[in-house]
Amino acid sequence: MLGFVIRRLLQMIPMLVAIALLIFVLFSVIPGSFATGQQDEGLGLDMAVVARMRAELGLDDPLYVRFGKYVQQLATLDLGVSFRSRQPVIEMIGARMWPSLKLTIAAMAFAIAIGLPLGFVAALRPGSLMDLGLMVIAVSGLSLPKFWLGILLMYLFALTLGWFPSFGYGQGGLSHLVLPALALGVSPMALLARTTRAAVLDIMNADFVRTARSKGMNEYRVVVWHVLRNALVLVLTTIGLQFGSLLGQGVVVEKLFAWPGIGSLLVDSVFQRDIPAVQGCILVITVFFLVINTSVDIAYKLIDPRIRYT
Amino acid sequence: MNRLALLSGIAVATAGLLAALAPVAEAQGTTPRKGGVVRMTAPYASSFGNLDPHMSGRSQDGQVHMTIHRTLYIWDSAKGAPALELATAATASAGGTVWTLKLREDAFFHNGRKMTADDVVWSFTRLMSSGQGFVGARWIRLVQGAVAVEKGEAKEISGIKKLGEFEVEISFTQKVEPGFLFYNMTTSILPQEEVAKPTWATNPVGLGPFKFKEHIPGSRLVTERFDKFYKPGLPYLDRVEFPIMAEASARDIAFRNKEVDTSILGPVQYVAYNNDANLKKNILEVAEVFTRSMVMNHGVKPFDDKRVRQAINHAINTQIIVERLARNKAYRATSWLPITVPGYDQDMKPYAFDPAKARALLAEAGLPNGFEFEWTTSQNESWGLPIVEAVIPMLAQVGIKVRTKVVEVAVLTDLALKGEFQAYIGSSQTGPDPLQTLRCFHSATPRTSCNVSGYKNADYDKLLDEAGTTDDPARKLDLLKKANWHLYDAAPVWFFNYNKAALAYQPWVHGLLGNPTELVHQYPEFIWVDATSPAK
Amino acid sequence: MKIRANLAIGGGLTVLAVFVGLFGPWLAHTDPIMDANLMNAELPPSGEFWFGTDQQGRDIWSRVMYGAQISLAVGIGSQLLNTVIGTTLGVTAGYWGGWWDDFVNGLTNLMLAIPSLIFALAIMAILGPGLTSLLIALGLTNWSYTCRISRAQALSIKSQGYVQAARVLGYGDLRIMFTQILPNTLGPIIVIATLGMGGSILAEAALSFLGLGVRPPSPSWGSMLSDARETITTAPWLSLFPGLAIFLTVLGLNLLGDGLRDILDPQSRSRR
Repeated sequence: MLGFVIRRLLQMIPMLVAIALLIFVLFSVIPGSFATGQQDEGLGLDMAVVARMRAELGLDDPLYVRFGKYVQQLATLDLGVSFRSRQPVIEMIGARMWPSLKLTIAAMAFAIAIGLPLGFVAALRPGSLMDLGLMVIAVSGLSLPKFWLGILLMYLFALTLGWFPSFGYGQGGLSHLVLPALALGVSPMALLARTTRAAVLDIMNADFVRTARSKGMNEYRVVVWHVLRNALVLVLTTIGLQFGSLLGQGVVVEKLFAWPGIGSLLVDSVFQRDIPAVQGCILVITVFFLVINTSVDIAYKLIDPRIRYT
Repeated sequence: MNRLALLSGIAVATAGLLAALAPVAEAQGTTPRKGGVVRMTAPYASSFGNLDPHMSGRSQDGQVHMTIHRTLYIWDSAKGAPALELATAATASAGGTVWTLKLREDAFFHNGRKMTADDVVWSFTRLMSSGQGFVGARWIRLVQGAVAVEKGEAKEISGIKKLGEFEVEISFTQKVEPGFLFYNMTTSILPQEEVAKPTWATNPVGLGPFKFKEHIPGSRLVTERFDKFYKPGLPYLDRVEFPIMAEASARDIAFRNKEVDTSILGPVQYVAYNNDANLKKNILEVAEVFTRSMVMNHGVKPFDDKRVRQAINHAINTQIIVERLARNKAYRATSWLPITVPGYDQDMKPYAFDPAKARALLAEAGLPNGFEFEWTTSQNESWGLPIVEAVIPMLAQVGIKVRTKVVEVAVLTDLALKGEFQAYIGSSQTGPDPLQTLRCFHSATPRTSCNVSGYKNADYDKLLDEAGTTDDPARKLDLLKKANWHLYDAAPVWFFNYNKAALAYQPWVHGLLGNPTELVHQYPEFIWVDATSPAK
Repeated sequence: MKIRANLAIGGGLTVLAVFVGLFGPWLAHTDPIMDANLMNAELPPSGEFWFGTDQQGRDIWSRVMYGAQISLAVGIGSQLLNTVIGTTLGVTAGYWGGWWDDFVNGLTNLMLAIPSLIFALAIMAILGPGLTSLLIALGLTNWSYTCRISRAQALSIKSQGYVQAARVLGYGDLRIMFTQILPNTLGPIIVIATLGMGGSILAEAALSFLGLGVRPPSPSWGSMLSDARETITTAPWLSLFPGLAIFLTVLGLNLLGDGLRDILDPQSRSRR
């Protein structure tokens, strides 16, 4: 087990370097530069200042020099300094990581709390009207643009009903978390409902369950013990995969609700060509994704010892 | 004497117009209440870029800088001119190139230390230090010896002399009005010992009425009252908070929900709020000093022909675009100078919508069947794509075909400064100094400085050269007016509109000022909230 | 019964969308770009303008009709690219194995680790907004799942008897891949592609929201919805109809994909 974990961690390193290289190359061909991105309105740029900015930030060095320096820094876990705020990128990201995680966890919690029972109940009576109805509801969740859903939620729950604040992080309290988590959580909820339904259906018809039933076991025990436990494995995969994609999908929700997460930092940095910030964000998101994947794999092993890894 | 005359000339010229556009400021009969919190939304971007005022010229960062920092001059919106702030007196000599400034003796930094002339010298020297991209350097460059520091040839600016503990003498390379240079927050006076600390980037310390309290990046920034601020009895508020809300629809909902105290209105919200009996009472409007236009590249045929440019101005029904698309949240542009800037001529009538005349002019220019060009634009709702979309059919009517090229604002700026465009639509700051604004069309001004269209005309140059050297304020004003008329006739751009900024505020907020350089830039010491404010 | 319901509703909606996509220009009343009359700006639905007019005074019904072409082009085009890339990489990796397999695996892990929306955003920033850029951006970032599935299929099929026989007979690699392996992977691939189309259409809306979608004034549903987000309270028809169009089309594609999965991919139950 330990060997497995260490091997996985070591595999991460070349991948991170590859990602860093990819981003570097991408941003070297991107039009528009940091300096020109600093103007809102008015075109009042002073070219001498621009030249000094470029010199200060090292933008005029050749590509391989910059990349070499970057990899050297990476080795010491130094993600560089943001072009915009001249603050170490690792500090900037650190401040934004917790809100993003909070949002993702809340969205996943909502998805699990609603999606799992939905899929389970639908699987109990496959082919019925209720099954169809529940599945259509679930699929609808996957068919709405997130920003539209977010605005509708804002309008309904914040403005009309006044139950929740419409934006922002507040003091980090629960009431500010609800609407963004809902907007983000609807699509993993739908996915989870479908996955659960399929997994439960599958297992309900499996041989060993039929055997248990024919042995006269309590139906309830059959369902809860065998079905759930085996379905859990498949559900866990979905959760693992979704977690990573949620960090990325959260971008739209974060921008809409002014949620101070890493997604909106990433998008802003792309638009302002703040290259160190972009690279830092993507690397951090990737590391998280890989860590979660590894954790899911470890959880597999714990649940089902029959699963072995090469 | 010179300076005073010029200032009063400016005041007289703009007083009439400003009266008509005067902001709905104080409530009459109520005395300002000490205490309370105001939540001013930061509407332009999803985060604050840089808390160091020397480093960032962005409008959104400026909001925070005006709360935490101070400069030698501030902008007096009522007078429409710069006013003394950290400097208490300014005397000119040597034909306006040497200025002696006396400084306040009661200004304290937030760490308790008193400001002296050394701080002014240090701050300005820092701005020019080579190797760092300080945005404020633009304004200090006009000081003698500044360029030498920038190039690394000198360690000190020879043109700044410390005459006493609270007195400096600054020599400039040309005749200037220091107020126009030093009201910019990018020339703030900073404490050397705080800047040296590693926490400077996240913990700014300055001379302003409020000191930094907390910053949640991407969400909000909070400042609290500085008790040793040099204006007696000010500031009124306990705290100023900046919730970041770049998304207009979300900001609208938050404002109606009374979760924020101010909100900048876009064209859509402008109409909606004006239609609401309650909301329309509390909208602060100001004619800002920005001109929106389609800039034509005079190096590209047929834009070098004046008749073609005039034809375009006639072919577009600008009035209806201002009314319908901009929803009257803009003023129809007549020429380059906007309404509140001296040199604007009230008697000037904008180009008439006349497609027949446009076709005639095109035929005269040898293009009876029109022509085709590529229009570069951003997605901005006020001076970007929606405007282009509305204009395309109008130009098609006179035979001009348009291809659009949509890019991000950063890319647009890049292309404009490199000259890699045929025509682009954008917004230019055209004030508050009219001479500096009009110099954008002087042939000696390079494209990278602001002559993006590449306009060259000897007569125009003569007008501006004389305006720059004359000591007679009346003559100067006259020359500026003439230059503005020249641009009207030459039509180097399609004159679209001057910005009207609209700020909605809650009824318990008082003391907001109509700052034409940027409406969200408020001097927060004047703001107060009455007891009906729900913010704690 | 559920299978048929899925296919029926999903198929029906998809066919409707395709129909509008093909015949949109004839169904529309006006030109979606040039017929802009500012005097008619933001009129509610009426006899003349079935869906009302937008901020520029253009007929929304016509724009929604034309918009179908763009949305479907985005969906189909990007999925085509995804499928081609994913299948090629996956089948060859599974069949040949060795260092190529390791390389493709690493590449797939890379693509899965970077959030696809961000990657697409970066590519759009490089190429500039526009339909082709969108197709390239979405096509280059979503092939990982297809690759995994086709690789798994290739691995399982390559050990089958008839494939061994073909090799003994001297059939070339490429021929085997094309004639033996590819047909057997088509089932799950079609399912993924159908579901992916819905995802691409939603991604287009998200990218428009972030500012880098199809180049206006092209009438894409995503940019129409995004542009109308400020007027949700004052002029709801501006966002309602494009929003409904997106919703129904993506819903149809999702239901269709589900239904197809139940038919074409009997192994799917154990995998999903």
